[in-house]
Amino acid sequence: MVITEGLTKVFKAEGVETIALRGVSLKVERGDFITVMGPSGCGKTTLLNLLGLIDEPSAGKYYFFGQDVYSMNERQKTELRKRNIGFVFQNFNLIDDLTVYENIELPLVYLGWKKKERKERVEEVVGNMKLSHKKRLFPAQLSGGQQQRVAVARAIIAKPPLILADEPTGNLDSIHGEEVMNILGNLNKEGTTIIMVTHSQSDAAFSRKIVHLFDGQIINENITKV
Amino acid sequence: MFVNYLKIGFRILYRQRSYSLLNIIGLAMGIAVFVFIFLYVQSELRYDKHWSGSENIYRITTDYRVSENSEQIALTPFLLAEKIQNNFPEEVEYSTKIFFSDPSDVNDMSSLIYNDEVYEVPDITIGDSNVFRVFDYYFVEGNKDLSLTKPNTMVISTQVAEMIFGDEMALGKKLKTHIREYTITGVFEKRCKPSHLSFDAIVSVNSLTEKNIELLNSDWFWMNCYTYVKLKPETNYHDFENALNDFSGREIKKFVEKAKININGYTDYSLEKISNVHFNKVLLYDNPGNTDKIYLIVFAIIAGFILLTASINYINLATARSLKRAKEIGVLKVLGAVRYQLSLQYISESLILTTLAFVIALSLVELLMPQFNHLVGKDLTLVGSLFSQGGIIFGSLLVLLIFVLSIISGIFPAFVLSYLKPVNVLKGNKMIVGKGGNQQYSAGRLRKFLVTIQYIVTIGMIISTIIIYQQMMFLKKHDLGFKPENVMVINLPQDTTFNDRASEFIYELSGEESVEQVTLAGNAPGYTAGKRMFFTDDSSKIMSLNYFMVGQNYFKLLEIPLVEGRFFPEFDAKDSTVYYIINQAAADTLKMDTLIGHSLKTTFGLDGKIIGVVRNFHFSSFYKNIEPLVIAFSGKRARYALVRVKGGQHDVALAHINNVWNKYNRNQYLHYTYLDEKLTSLYNSDYKMLSLFTYFSIFVIFISSLGLYGLSSFLIEQRTKELGIRKILGGTANNILLLLVKDYLKLVLLAGIIASPLVYILMSKWLSMFAISIEISTWYFVLGILSALIIAFTTVFIRVYKVINKRPSLALSYE
Ligand SMILES: Nc1ncnc2c1ncn2[C@@H]1O[C@H](COP(=O)(O)OP(=O)(O)OP(=O)(O)O)[C@@H](O)[C@H]1O
Ligand SMILES: [Mg+2]
Repeated sequence: MVITEGLTKVFKAEGVETIALRGVSLKVERGDFITVMGPSGCGKTTLLNLLGLIDEPSAGKYYFFGQDVYSMNERQKTELRKRNIGFVFQNFNLIDDLTVYENIELPLVYLGWKKKERKERVEEVVGNMKLSHKKRLFPAQLSGGQQQRVAVARAIIAKPPLILADEPTGNLDSIHGEEVMNILGNLNKEGTTIIMVTHSQSDAAFSRKIVHLFDGQIINENITKV
Repeated sequence: MFVNYLKIGFRILYRQRSYSLLNIIGLAMGIAVFVFIFLYVQSELRYDKHWSGSENIYRITTDYRVSENSEQIALTPFLLAEKIQNNFPEEVEYSTKIFFSDPSDVNDMSSLIYNDEVYEVPDITIGDSNVFRVFDYYFVEGNKDLSLTKPNTMVISTQVAEMIFGDEMALGKKLKTHIREYTITGVFEKRCKPSHLSFDAIVSVNSLTEKNIELLNSDWFWMNCYTYVKLKPETNYHDFENALNDFSGREIKKFVEKAKININGYTDYSLEKISNVHFNKVLLYDNPGNTDKIYLIVFAIIAGFILLTASINYINLATARSLKRAKEIGVLKVLGAVRYQLSLQYISESLILTTLAFVIALSLVELLMPQFNHLVGKDLTLVGSLFSQGGIIFGSLLVLLIFVLSIISGIFPAFVLSYLKPVNVLKGNKMIVGKGGNQQYSAGRLRKFLVTIQYIVTIGMIISTIIIYQQMMFLKKHDLGFKPENVMVINLPQDTTFNDRASEFIYELSGEESVEQVTLAGNAPGYTAGKRMFFTDDSSKIMSLNYFMVGQNYFKLLEIPLVEGRFFPEFDAKDSTVYYIINQAAADTLKMDTLIGHSLKTTFGLDGKIIGVVRNFHFSSFYKNIEPLVIAFSGKRARYALVRVKGGQHDVALAHINNVWNKYNRNQYLHYTYLDEKLTSLYNSDYKMLSLFTYFSIFVIFISSLGLYGLSSFLIEQRTKELGIRKILGGTANNILLLLVKDYLKLVLLAGIIASPLVYILMSKWLSMFAISIEISTWYFVLGILSALIIAFTTVFIRVYKVINKRPSLALSYE
């Protein structure tokens, strides 16, 4: 489903060059559940951003369902992204001026769903994520853990074939963390491909394959489950 | 310590050059326009307020009624000033008279000869020796009080002195007109003394022949002078007015009995405060440069608004920029900076910006002053205004503005930002946007309010400009009822020597290929028309009708067709009958079954016969409907020669005319005007308004666009990250553009809806000045609002375009 070849990302900021990724080649099959692990600053978020078409690489190729993604224009990328990819960001990236409900609903708005259908779907997910009683609140009024659950809810709302999750349990206690992992695990069982970054071994246990990144390179690919 | 702030301030401003530039330019332009309008309004309001004792100076105006006709005129009889001076020594300090000299035309005295060189001084008049006692112009040369006491003396303005004598002393020099020689007894400074008095040169009244003076002194009904009085401070002007009318009532009664005039009517004099004269538009024979105060109010409002928006824009932009530095503030606070230190940093940056803006604005004003003066027909100077009455206030106002702007735009961000807990700022939480977005909502409402106000004025200006433009074009194209193109109006000398040779002169003029038609004329369209009293059968039904005297070829030359009857017959010395041709309006007024051949009588003994009716033509301006007009034949005496020149051969014709002119009038300046230009000049004040409105519109559009640009920057600044997220979640460029632009467009639309009725009222009032005007069409409003929408959309689009094409990662890393 996703194939990358020699993805490289170099940041230049105020004259300093940081090589965040050096030649990462990865192959993700449909239905995979991959965990990316590695020390802080090794390039995990950078990799997810590239996979999610949020950023452009300095070098390398990226095929999504066989299409050469980096040759697309911005409009095509937007189209591909909104139909196929859901995100959970490390720092949530919720929109402060929208309520929990509106935040979660947003991808469906952009997909052009009807209001009634949107409502049904949002209610369903909000229920699953145990956010029903918070849905009228604004992100700033939630705890870090609650915000993270909103971020997850928003990522899965449109049932995208690929979910990219950057430390989706990073701010959650073990009980809530496990709930989130269960949801992701169930989605995976229903066929959703998931690529997740985590520092937690127990979270990693939900996945089928672990990719170890170190200093921008893949040093090890483990298959944990079959 | 403060120097340190300034140093850092300069560094930061330099680093954000484009922002600084935008902000400085916006503010500088706003201030420059404000200063211009301020100077203009100030000089208008100073009209005739600067005379010493000006609160005691009054102009006397006349209200007279004869039969059914009543008229208010700015003129009084010649004898009035002296009568007042002699009969009211208790009440009046001085009274003085200044001759009416048609401000729209030159007269015989306008050609002044010095060293065989002819100079033209259009605005020359006659006045008595009290003129400069009442109006205390500063005398550069000569003695004010003695200057006009002797016959054949003349006082000139410094401009005229410079034109004729250059650096030489003017006092004692002789200037000739073609019939007389005058000695210069004074030079007065006219600049910086705005007044409804417009003369550039004035001749002593006792230069007139004794016979003339005697004639003038015996007639209460011959209105030809402006009379002014300077009352003693203790005199109540109401009481004086009554006393004057009692007195004049008695005198007029005596005069009427003596002269055996059989008129039932009255004359009533009123006192008009001298400082109000410039704003009086209702009197006949008044200075055409008088303005309606409503324009000043409109201009003042525009000026205030421009300054306000420029300031708001400035603050908005400054705030938008400083919010970007929220994190820096957070850090500074963690490091122990207290609020006043933060404020000081912002204020010092702001002070640099506003000071720069002011310097640029004042340079701009100084630089563009000649163009502005040309535009408004004044000679304003920045320095002159600063050192005049109210100049101190004006100066302090400017300085105060620098500080207020600096402090507001410095304190506001520091205040808001420093109220935040540093930990929140460091975590990248957004400021201003409070919990639940409530605060943002109210702040947003204020901003929306400001944008709406900006656009109400912007749209108002655009629509007004469209309407004014349409009206002026309409007037330009409107059928006058005659053909003014290629017609030259030549002013003729008024002495008998020339009059006797006028027909010869005309005959010689016509002897050139390039000259198509020539005629003598006592009156021409667009020039002041006289009025005479006429009646048909019943002498108690007197009508005051416009009166023209024209030569043989007049109607043919101007292509005015006959409707009924015939034109004037060839001049025949043996035929003493007076023939009249009237226009259709007069025919309608006279209401008679058989017009042609009917007699038309006057109160002054020129009874005649109506022989023809011509089609209506616009002989005065479009401010008036076509009034009844009686036209008499005049074979000899004429003020003008009208010459129709072949199109494209003006130069040849002019050379020929000059030749002939010099043969007949050695020492007279050939003063000519093209009739179409003369007619256009009747609307000078309207064209002036059109160009002022056009410029103001451009400024207002520019400033409100700048404001909108700043505001959208401000909001996008705050929403960059949100926009990035929306993009990642599938928002397309169009979605996002719409999201950002929609609100503004709604505001602009709202502003348009609010502005439209206001413009409608204001423009209807303006259009009502004209007898002929356009209908205010809905299209003007649609066009105005649409163009504002397009401008607003483009402005926001330019700003948004940068953001929506950014890669989302850049937006996300934005903090
Ligand atoms: N916008 C940027 N500009 C410059 N350097 C960047 C930028 N984003 C990331 N980097 C650098 O790239 C490297 C990889 O960063 P990345 O965020 O991918 O790390 P990470 O593995 O996600 O770390 P963590 O576990 O702490 O989230 C780091 O050295 C970081 O400093
Ligand atoms: Mg990371």
